[in-house]
Order: sequence, then structure tokens, then C-alpha cells
Amino acid sequence: MTESNGADVHALIGPYVVGALSPAEAAEFEAHLAECSACAAEVTSLREVTVTLADAEATPPPASLRSSVMAAIGTTAQVTPGPVETPEVTPVDEVSERRARKMWPRIAVAAASVLVLAAVGIGVGSAYQQRQQTRALEHDVMMVTTAPDAHAMDLGLGQSHLVMSDSMGAVVAMGDNAPMPASGMEYQLWLMMEDGSSHPGPTFMPHSDGEFMTVMSAPMDGVVGVAVTEEPAGGSPAPTGQTVALVHL
Amino acid sequence: MDHVGAQSRAQRGAQSRAQGRAGAEPVPAGANPDSLAALLVQSGRGSAPAFEQLYNQVAGSVFGIALRVVRDPQLAEDVAQEALVDVWRLAPRYRPDAGSARSWILTIAHRRAVDRVRTEQAHRARSQANSVTAAGQSAEPDDVVETMFAEWQAARVRKGFAALTQLQREALELAFYKGYTHREVAESLNVPLGTAKARLRDGLIKLRDMWEVEK
Repeated sequence: MTESNGADVHALIGPYVVGALSPAEAAEFEAHLAECSACAAEVTSLREVTVTLADAEATPPPASLRSSVMAAIGTTAQVTPGPVETPEVTPVDEVSERRARKMWPRIAVAAASVLVLAAVGIGVGSAYQQRQQTRALEHDVMMVTTAPDAHAMDLGLGQSHLVMSDSMGAVVAMGDNAPMPASGMEYQLWLMMEDGSSHPGPTFMPHSDGEFMTVMSAPMDGVVGVAVTEEPAGGSPAPTGQTVALVHL
Repeated sequence: MDHVGAQSRAQRGAQSRAQGRAGAEPVPAGANPDSLAALLVQSGRGSAPAFEQLYNQVAGSVFGIALRVVRDPQLAEDVAQEALVDVWRLAPRYRPDAGSARSWILTIAHRRAVDRVRTEQAHRARSQANSVTAAGQSAEPDDVVETMFAEWQAARVRKGFAALTQLQREALELAFYKGYTHREVAESLNVPLGTAKARLRDGLIKLRDMWEVEK
């Protein structure tokens, strides 16, 4: 049998989506998927068919399932978010590394959408206004982090990172576990320019659990670094306070 | 879907901040794939409350597809538990750009069920499994919303399958609901392997195109 070799590997797409391959064949097909974007796209779209097939079977599970699952996850370690999904393949080349690095901001953005965002410019407003502003911020962040040229760097304020996109002309700073600035102070984002000047960005405050997110729109030409300083509430036109994070590009 | 129920459960449970915000606007889960993706990502960062909300949205389908494939309620519960714990364990690897959270989760569930039915078949006759009943088990309160959603989806599936050729339909039923490999499908339907593979694929494509138009 040669069906699973060479060009015929495309033909495994149907059996793969419905789970009708042996583990070895599935591994071989997944290796192919990593290299064939056409097949990968078709798998993604056909999987939605199997979602409908499964949803059509939905049945209230026994009450004991919830308790046993919730108890089990309490003692089950999670895998690391490593980039390797198909251990059989994926030579680590530059492209896959870059893709892996880009994943994390997207994941973080999705997560952020269910969290409280310490958004810039959220003053004292109605809950509705706050939600609208949070949405707008999330939208902006999503636009930046999903740009084809988005790239991420560690920021070093709590567990955080920057995501920059030249094409969007914007930089996002987001993360967790940031310490609170000194009383009466706020954090402010800066773009450091190659001529030595600093472009003031928005001020922001972490939420009480240290989560924060902010976005700054500006042309990225001539930007050589990104910094975060502590500034008096409302921000400063030029950095005056302590630098709490600095990234050289 | 179960999402409305999920919201009320979330709100009467510990009012974690994340749940409070997520619960601001109840939307049927079927129409809100983004929130499930967010819950999955949150779960991947170790949040048990997020995982329990995720559970509310998917447990019915996870258990349902497991039951359809393995046929035995006790076995289906085992499979569903393994699958859901897998979802928890593997959540950090979920990539939102590689497909919907729901398909990621239900693929894990379906694989687990198929693995189990293939293993079980080596041990005992399927008919024996079929005779086991759910007697004595107490189900979760039947969520009206979820039931309606499942019925609506089931109607779509019936209609979709009716539009397939007999070979497409039979191939999909054997592979997806019974856990047959493509070789077993070919043997069972007495067609060449290449034909079995092609019918699985074009059957899925036909369903996809039909259901995409409906949306």
C-alpha cells in the first residue's frame, strides 16, 4: 500500500478529521500538515463539521462527572506551552521559532478578554463606559498583536512583554504580576528615539492583581527602545521618574 | 447550549473577578466561540474557575459524543473524564489561530472515545457493553437551553446526512460514530481504500458547505 506516501498524503485529510487513522498514520499526516497550509486550512474548516456532529449528541452528563473532573485537575500538572505540537516533526528552524514567539501574545490577548483590564484612560465612568473603553482597548491590542509583522519581547515589569508592529504603527505592553508604582505615581510608556529624544506614551496602572495592558500608537521608524518609568499621576511630557523597564530594539 | 446555565452557575459561585466580567453579557455559547477560547486560554494558565466555566459549555457535548461512540454510560463517563482532564493538561498548548476552542476540545474527546472503543473491542463484545444501563446514575439537571441546542444541531445533522450519498453517509457514520479506521470502513463497505478515504473527505466537505450557507 502506498496511499499514505508522497502526494497521496493529502488524501488522508478525511480519515484524519474523523479520527480514522492509526496513530502512526495520524503522526505522518500531522507532519504533512505542518508544511502544507492548504491541508491545514481544510482540516480547520472540516473540524467545525465534526463539532456540529458532536454537539448534536450533547447529553446531560452524570453529576458525578463534574466533581471527578474538578478533583482530578487539582492533582494534574499541565504541559508547558512549548511550541512543539507534533514531536515527530518540527525541526526548530528560524521560522517556527518566530511563529512560536508570536503565539504567546495572541494567547495572552485572548485570555485578557475575560479578565479585568487595567486600561489606560479609564477614568471614573459608568460601568458601561468602562466596558466600552475596555473593549476598544482589547480591539486595538488584538489588531496589533495579530498583525503579520507583530513581534514580542520581554518587558521585565512583572511577567510582561511588548508586542510591536511596524505595519500597525503601534506597540502593546501587557503582562501580569506587575508591582504597584509608588503612591501618587503611575507608570508611563515611552518610545526612545535614535536621536536621543523620548516620545511620551500613555500612563497606566496595574490592576490589584498586577495585570496590566496598554497600547501606544506611533510610527515605529527611528524607535530604538521602549521604556516604562514612574511618573506623577497624569504622566509627563518627558521622563522624570525612575525607569522600571527598558527594552532595546 | 449550556452557556446561559453556565453564567448563572458562575454568578452564584464564587464571584471571582474574571467570572464577574465574563458574565456581564450572557450569550449562547454556540454564538460566542471567543469566550470559550478565552476560558481555554485561562485554563491553560492554571485557572480552575475558568476551567469549570469551560466545563459548563462543553461537558454535554463531550459526554454525548463519548456516549455515542462507546455506547456504555459508565464507560462514556470514564472517557469524558479522561478527555476533560486531557483538555486541562494540554490547555497551555492550545493555539487560537489553529482552530476554534470547541473543535480542539471535542477532537480530544472524540479521539479518547475512539481509542477506548478500539481497545474495548479487543476485550469484550460490543453487545455486552450495549446492555449496560445508566440505572442509578443521577444526571446533571437537564439544561433546557443545552437540550434545545443539541436538538437543533441534531436536526441539522439529520438534514445534512440526508443530502449525502449513501456511501458518504455510511463511511462517515462508521468512522466518526463507531471508531472504524479507514481500512475497516473500506472493508465494511466493500470499496477500495482510496474510495473510502475520498468519500470521508467529500462527505465532510459537503456538510461543511451546506452548514456554512445556513449560517
